[in-house]
Amino acid sequence: MDENTQSDANNDELILQQQRQIEKEISETTPLVSDKQTISTLNSEYNDDAVYCSKVKNLAEKYISLRKTRPDGNCFFRAFAYGYLEYLVKNKDDYEKFRDLVQKAKDKLVKQGFPELTLEDFHDTFMDVIDRVAPSENNEENLQELHKLFNEQGYSDYIVVFLRLMTSGQLQEEADFFFNFIEGDCTIQEFCHQEVEPMYKESDHIHIIAICKALNANVRVEYMDRADGDKVMAHDFPEVNKPNVFLLYRPGHYDILYPK
Amino acid sequence: MTSTRRLQKELADLRSSDLKSFKDIQVDEANLLVWNGLIIPENPPYNKGAFRIEINFPAEYPFKPPKICFKTKIYHPNIDEKGQVCLPIISAENWKPATKTDQVIQALIALVNDPEPEHPLRADLAEEFQKDRKKFFKTAEDFTRKHSEKRPNE
Repeated sequence: MDENTQSDANNDELILQQQRQIEKEISETTPLVSDKQTISTLNSEYNDDAVYCSKVKNLAEKYISLRKTRPDGNCFFRAFAYGYLEYLVKNKDDYEKFRDLVQKAKDKLVKQGFPELTLEDFHDTFMDVIDRVAPSENNEENLQELHKLFNEQGYSDYIVVFLRLMTSGQLQEEADFFFNFIEGDCTIQEFCHQEVEPMYKESDHIHIIAICKALNANVRVEYMDRADGDKVMAHDFPEVNKPNVFLLYRPGHYDILYPK
Repeated sequence: MTSTRRLQKELADLRSSDLKSFKDIQVDEANLLVWNGLIIPENPPYNKGAFRIEINFPAEYPFKPPKICFKTKIYHPNIDEKGQVCLPIISAENWKPATKTDQVIQALIALVNDPEPEHPLRADLAEEFQKDRKKFFKTAEDFTRKHSEKRPNE
C-alpha cells in the first residue's frame, strides 16, 4: 500500500511538471491579449473545414477584427475586462458609474465574508488600472496603456482574481436565483469555491450572467462551433440591452471581437 | 515581486493574531517564501507534543498555493512518513488566490486534531484508526512522546 501511495505521489509530481512545461510553452508563444488581427486570420486554423470556413465568412460580415487571448482558463474574464474597459475609456459617464461600482465592491465583498487582508491587494490593483486608463483628451494613449497593463501578469492576473471574486459575490448574493442554473447537488457556495474563485477554471453562462449584473455590462457572445449551419449564433447577456462588449466563443475559449 | 508585499502583510497579521495552536513562527526576512512554525494540537493523542511544520510559498504566490511539510514525525493517517500532508484547501485544483495563510493553518490544525480516515495518505493507519481506536491512540501517544517537540509555555 505504501508503495502505491508513493508511486501515486511521484505520478502526481510528473503530471504537475508536465503541466508546468505546457504552461511555460503557452506563455512564451501566446501573449495574454494579442494585437488586433483580421477576422480572416481564423481561416488558417481551419484550412479545409467547410463548416468553420463558412462561419468565419459570416463572422467577417459583422466584425472587422479580433484580439486573441491566452488559452489559460481565464480567457473569459480577461477578454471581458479588456473589452469592457476599452468601451469605458471611450464612454465617460459609464466609466464613472463603473469606477464607483468597483470602488464599493471591496466593502461589499468583505461584508459577505471574504478576507479583507487578501482582497485589498486585488482591489487596489484593479482600481489602479482603472485610474490609469481614465478617459481623457488623448484616448489613444489610454488604450495603449490598457494593452500594456493587460499583458503584464502582475496586473492582468490581479484583475482576473478580483472579477472572479465579484462574480462569486454576485452568485452568492442571489443564490436562490442562480441555484437553478447549476448541475449536480452542490450549493452555490460550493460551486463558487470550486468553479469561480480558483484561477484557470473556465467560465460558463452562469459566470457571464453574474459578472454582467455585478458590473452593469452588456455582453454579446458569438458562438462558433462545428454544429450545422453556416452562421455564427449571437447571444446577448442580458438580452434586453445594447451590447458594449463583443466576444467570440469557440468551444472552451473566448476572444475579443470588434464590430464593423 | 508581487508576492513579497502580500507575504509581509500575512506574516504581520498572523503574528499579531497570536494563535494558541500555531506558535514560534520563524521566517528569514531575506527569504519570505519559507516559514517555520509549531503546531500545538489540542486533541489526544497529539496534545502532549508540538509539531514543527515548514510552509513553502512558490514564486508565483498567490496564484499558486503554498506547500506544507511536517518536519516532526507524526503518527497520523493524513500525514505520511516524509511529512507530506494532503490538505484540500491548498490542492492545485481548489486553490483560491484570496485564501489567507491563516485559513490554511487553521485547516491544518483541524486536520491534525481530527484525522480524516476517509482520505488517508497512510491507509494502514487509517484502518487502525477506524478499527482499533484504542490501539491507534496508544501507538500515536507513544510516538508523540518519542518524536515530538516540547510544547512552548502556555
